[in-house]
Amino acid sequence: MARLIGQDVRVGTRILTVEDDERIRAAVKLALEDEGWTVDEAASGEEAVVRFLRQPSDVVLIDIMLPGIDGFELCRTIRRSSDVPIVMVTARADTHDVVAGLEAGADDYLTKPFAPKELSARIRALLRRARPMSSAHSRLIFGDLEIVPDEGKVLRGGTEVHLTKTEFRLLCELAQNPGRVFSREQLLDHVWGYGYFGDGRLVDVHIRRLRTKVEVDAANPRHVVTVRGLGYRLQQ
Amino acid sequence: MKIRFRAPRLRTRILLMFGVGSLALSAFLAAITYNFVRTNLVDQREESAVDQAYDNAGRLATDLRSSSPNVQGSLDRLGAERPLLLFRGSWTAGDARFSSAQLPDRLLVDVAERAVPSKMRLEIADELVLAVGIPLEDVDAAYFEFPTVDDVASTLRSVGLALVFAAAITTLLGVFGGALLASRAIRPVTVASQAAQAIASGQLGTRLEPTDDPDLAALTDSFNDMVVALQARVERDARFTSDVSHELRSPLTTLSTSVEVMLARRDEMPERAQVALDLLVADVARFRGLVEDLLEISRFDAGAIRLDLEDLLVSEFVRQAVAVSTLPRSRVEVDPAAETLVIRADRRRLARVMANLIDNARLHGGGDVEVSVTVPDDGGPTSAVRILVEDHGPGVPPEERLLIFERFARGGSAGRRSFSDGAGLGLALVDEHVRLHGGRIWLDDRRDGDPGACFAIELSAEEI
Repeated sequence: MARLIGQDVRVGTRILTVEDDERIRAAVKLALEDEGWTVDEAASGEEAVVRFLRQPSDVVLIDIMLPGIDGFELCRTIRRSSDVPIVMVTARADTHDVVAGLEAGADDYLTKPFAPKELSARIRALLRRARPMSSAHSRLIFGDLEIVPDEGKVLRGGTEVHLTKTEFRLLCELAQNPGRVFSREQLLDHVWGYGYFGDGRLVDVHIRRLRTKVEVDAANPRHVVTVRGLGYRLQQ
Repeated sequence: MKIRFRAPRLRTRILLMFGVGSLALSAFLAAITYNFVRTNLVDQREESAVDQAYDNAGRLATDLRSSSPNVQGSLDRLGAERPLLLFRGSWTAGDARFSSAQLPDRLLVDVAERAVPSKMRLEIADELVLAVGIPLEDVDAAYFEFPTVDDVASTLRSVGLALVFAAAITTLLGVFGGALLASRAIRPVTVASQAAQAIASGQLGTRLEPTDDPDLAALTDSFNDMVVALQARVERDARFTSDVSHELRSPLTTLSTSVEVMLARRDEMPERAQVALDLLVADVARFRGLVEDLLEISRFDAGAIRLDLEDLLVSEFVRQAVAVSTLPRSRVEVDPAAETLVIRADRRRLARVMANLIDNARLHGGGDVEVSVTVPDDGGPTSAVRILVEDHGPGVPPEERLLIFERFARGGSAGRRSFSDGAGLGLALVDEHVRLHGGRIWLDDRRDGDPGACFAIELSAEEI
């Protein structure tokens, strides 16, 4: 949580890749270094935890299928202490893996075999999200909910709640136009940088995670409301 | 191996057996009853007739013992049924129609010559009668009577009729019972055939319920064993494809990532290395497409595909799908009637269908494509929408239009589909996807008659 916000994404951006296949790791390192990023490697979840503690990264890339502690567990472990953007690599897009990974705290996912261009595009989108929002308002208030965009802070009933960067970005997006309904596609586009064919589950799972943090009762949300068949809306 | 049956349907045979069986049984019982009743009735009737005849004969003998008997008068006074008397060698009849001529010889000899009382059944003028003869030796006479037993016959006729009726009802009941039993007997067969159909349609988890009936248990057990074996084989095949594709994904990720790193340095390479790199890049992309298709189709085979269904405005969907395809500038024409139609579909999967069709047109259809959204003009209310992808290639002859959706299908005519098209899994996947959406896809001539193919997808749709 102590990461500096607002640094240039190109300078000193560190990416931790957690992958047990040595060749993939080496190739990904080459490709990401071509983008100008510094790449740290870990061959297992255990190694990744130690590396991340020693040298926090700006983005973590996790293969879900890992020996020892698996990708889901690693996601949860990192999430307990950090809001760092996480991209997970899954075997399939249509299995429960994707939802399980997102619920474990991942911000986005890729399926194997992925193209390096997709990977760097995903990472760039996450890094953009990590920068502060340029907001017209310095403080937005929704009942017991208070958003301070410039500081990246959210308070519920006066106490700060810790959101990941993606959750914060999603909340701010909804807060830009209170009461307006945002479709899944709009949120996918504005928050993740996906077009019409993005995976709507990204939005659904993140909304779910957001609710557990900003709502008093996540099962009966008062702020982040579903508008059936249309999308989501933020209200008082 | 086929096991043939030429006999009529099982149900018909069971019905027939029961019908014939119950008919035979009831006919047999009716015949026995009839005979028994007849014997009893006739015997009783005869007995009373004989008693009556003895009574009459006794009274007549008393009359004849007088000094000057009035034979005719005594006979008439008896009031007997058709009496006949042989008195001192001369015949006297009570009824002119019944004379000594009607007496059978044997009866006459027995009674008149040997003086033995005797009786005999006769049919005279279509009437069943009993001839009773009683010798009256002390007055030198023989008395005969012809009492009718025909009233018994009419009773017998009624009994017979009733029995035929009963037999008919029993037969009908038998047929009815047969029908009930037939459908009960057939039920396991019906259940088995439904199960077989379910299995054929891919529900390999289908099993027959175990039964206590030892005869059916044999069928149930061997059926279930067969399905288990079949399922194991299908799963093994599917798992093999899936495992192979999964194993390929890791090296493929390394390959495409490394190739990308090389591609970034293409300008620093000697010319020959550049040519080699271009070949490598193209085939790694092709290999990637093939592995992705194989993974996808193995998921179809495993029945592991779940659609993420949502309502999509079909016109917007098609425009977006074309915009992200390999021919993003293709013309999209939407029929005004189709502009506001909504389909229920998995956005990303259906987009792959469009991408595959457009890729197919790019590779084999002259590199140019027109996409249209129309409604079928069947006159009724709009319940379906058609997405047409038309190209300018050489088209596909009608006899190959179904085969083209088979896995690894290639055009039969040499050269028409170039080798670079890779393995023909794309259209097989398109077919699977469309069917999973409850729609259908087919291949047609271009609507304007120019050479070229027209892929048509029809999906159910409704107005917003």
